[in-house]
Amino acid sequence: MSVPTQKPVRKLSMKQRYSALTHDLDWPLSYVEEDDAFPYTKFEGIKVHDWSKWEDPFRLTVESYNKYQAEKDRRLYAVLDGFAQSQGQLSLSDASYMNAMKIFLQGIPSGEYQAHRNFAHLARYLNGPGARFASLCQSMDELRHAQTEIHTLSHYNKFFGGMHDWNKMSDRVWYLSVPKSFFDDAGTAGPFEWLIAIGFSFEYLLTNLLFVPFMSGAAFNGDLPTMTFGFSAQSDESRHMTLGLEGIKFMLEQDEDNLPIVQAWLDKWFWRGYRLISLVAGMMDYMLPKRVMSWKEAFELYFEEQMLNGLFKDLAYYGIKPPRDVEWAIQEKEILSHQVYWILYQFSHAAAFTTTVPNAQDQAWLAEAYPETWPIYKSVVWDKAQKVMDEGGRYFNPGLPQLCQVCQIPMGFTEPGDPMTQCQRHSIYEGERYDTCSDGCKWIFEREPEKYVQAWLPVHQIYQGNCGGPTLPDVAVWYGLEPGDGGEYVGSMDQLDWAAWHASTVKEG
Amino acid sequence: MSVEAEPRMVGVDLQENEENRAIVEAVEADNEDLTVRHMPGLIRLTKPGRLVINQASVEQRLGRPWETHEFQLAIVSYFGEIVEWDDDEIVIAWKH
Amino acid sequence: MPVVAISEYKFPSKSRQELYGDDQLVHVWWKGNPWFVAAGCFRFPKAMPWGDFVGVLKGFYTADPDFVPDSLDSVQWVIDDQEVTPDPSASMEANGVGHKSLVQFSV
Ligand SMILES: [Fe+2]
Ligand SMILES: [Fe+2]
Repeated sequence: MSVPTQKPVRKLSMKQRYSALTHDLDWPLSYVEEDDAFPYTKFEGIKVHDWSKWEDPFRLTVESYNKYQAEKDRRLYAVLDGFAQSQGQLSLSDASYMNAMKIFLQGIPSGEYQAHRNFAHLARYLNGPGARFASLCQSMDELRHAQTEIHTLSHYNKFFGGMHDWNKMSDRVWYLSVPKSFFDDAGTAGPFEWLIAIGFSFEYLLTNLLFVPFMSGAAFNGDLPTMTFGFSAQSDESRHMTLGLEGIKFMLEQDEDNLPIVQAWLDKWFWRGYRLISLVAGMMDYMLPKRVMSWKEAFELYFEEQMLNGLFKDLAYYGIKPPRDVEWAIQEKEILSHQVYWILYQFSHAAAFTTTVPNAQDQAWLAEAYPETWPIYKSVVWDKAQKVMDEGGRYFNPGLPQLCQVCQIPMGFTEPGDPMTQCQRHSIYEGERYDTCSDGCKWIFEREPEKYVQAWLPVHQIYQGNCGGPTLPDVAVWYGLEPGDGGEYVGSMDQLDWAAWHASTVKEG
Repeated sequence: MSVEAEPRMVGVDLQENEENRAIVEAVEADNEDLTVRHMPGLIRLTKPGRLVINQASVEQRLGRPWETHEFQLAIVSYFGEIVEWDDDEIVIAWKH
Repeated sequence: MPVVAISEYKFPSKSRQELYGDDQLVHVWWKGNPWFVAAGCFRFPKAMPWGDFVGVLKGFYTADPDFVPDSLDSVQWVIDDQEVTPDPSASMEANGVGHKSLVQFSV
């Protein structure tokens, strides 16, 4: 226990200390114009009259930041050591659990790093000292997240496939272009849009859906390090949520003209973030051997109840409306995870995780969690996939899928109310045709076509010959895939190793 | 959605551990109508309107000094707005 | 709406037809069959006869164990939302298939 046991005698209150060590350290510019020192806070059209109105309710100073972050890391590393020393990987619920962590490692730390870089940019380029300091803290947090995630999961890399080249993969592999393009999109926007995109829409609106059920799921599946890392990161997240909320309210309070700009960003980034975390929906419902809650339940709890019934009533005061495509997301909660996992299942031969037909226990859980929709997917696709397996085969899609130009996910989402008809949306821009997966992505494309025409769509890049060669084996090599990384879980290296480790004679990993 | 007479819910998720038990007990004592939900590794506290964490109540149960900044080690997530984070209390509520 | 940016913001499409030479990308969608979770994306010569294209599909869709290849001989083809009756000996281009066109059918 290294938190001080004696209350230091302080002359200043928390409020005064915060003020003295952030706002009061700022100085008026004397020999440069404000617009020259802060050249990026005007072009987006956001009007700010008084930067001093930006307050961080956490009232953090450098001293307290360092003290508590160091303590968080100490606690985490104690758990990591204990887990490694006790061969904790052997007490996971099942080797198949690792698939969720593979996707996590391949997709998330690079996103954290992007967040680190862009918050560092804000920490330099926002005009107000309060906003800069909160951004600086978040920038350091995000770097810590990237590092601790990599460190935490490195233990599993010694025992399981799919984790050896996460960095290269995050840059190249088809499903990882989804998070990558998301952060590229946000990071190439201006500082205010970044704040709404990441600080508000992602951190405040959606991050609970990503982290809380997931880390609780890690706890339930014997994955102590991920749980500890997750909660450690998430404790920073509370500060990030606050920064996002402070950011949006600051913009709305500074000038009425900011409202339509902020609303449009909110509409865009809700949908971008929601599509991104659909990967989490598939992981939660299909990849965790033991589940805490379904995607649908998490969505209802963390989004509908907390955000729609809580936050958006608060924001209505400023004239903000719930995101434009929120109804689409609500109706999708019944089918989203089924669709995402079916995508992952049939393309996992080109992935660094494995998939399989849900077993009897999984199916019973799915039937209970999704009484309306699971029976449809079971009878239409899973029974058939099982039959292929029973006959000694394994269904993989023999081709490459059409991708959404905006979210970059294979176009497997369906029309509202019609789970058998994929949703096809198209736009023509300067004579070229572009495809999108939903009204949300189509609206985003048509709002800024110049941005999305540059999308690095993995399928198109393969066809242009930019991904190692014309055949799937060539592409797999370029992706960094090794035997045992992807494909079917049953009979996979992970499964065989797991069985061997739990056989009477325990062999070395 | 209809206009509710009830104040809207606010809440906080805490890591489940020995030390945080004192915080949970303090919050339970100081907040009427508190709902406590246990999930693996997590405790979720929710309440209509306004949720207060008092330094004095936490210190009493911990049996040692506790500065409100330490709450950062306990918190996993929250909903509502942090309307006050001072030496003696933390308050979560909706502003509008 | 143009991208709000600090300078002129104009970039070419990263998947424009000229990057594929004499070929083009074609999306093929078996509507109503969730076995193929999304429409497929293919690269074909613009000059490829429609009949050859259908021949490729007859092989491709055997990944569905319930697929009957000859069923493709009697489907209603739809190209970019237009119902069409393609000429099997004419090229895909002559039959109205453009870069990133959507060719759809249902069985
Ligand atoms: Fe983070
Ligand atoms: Fe999309």
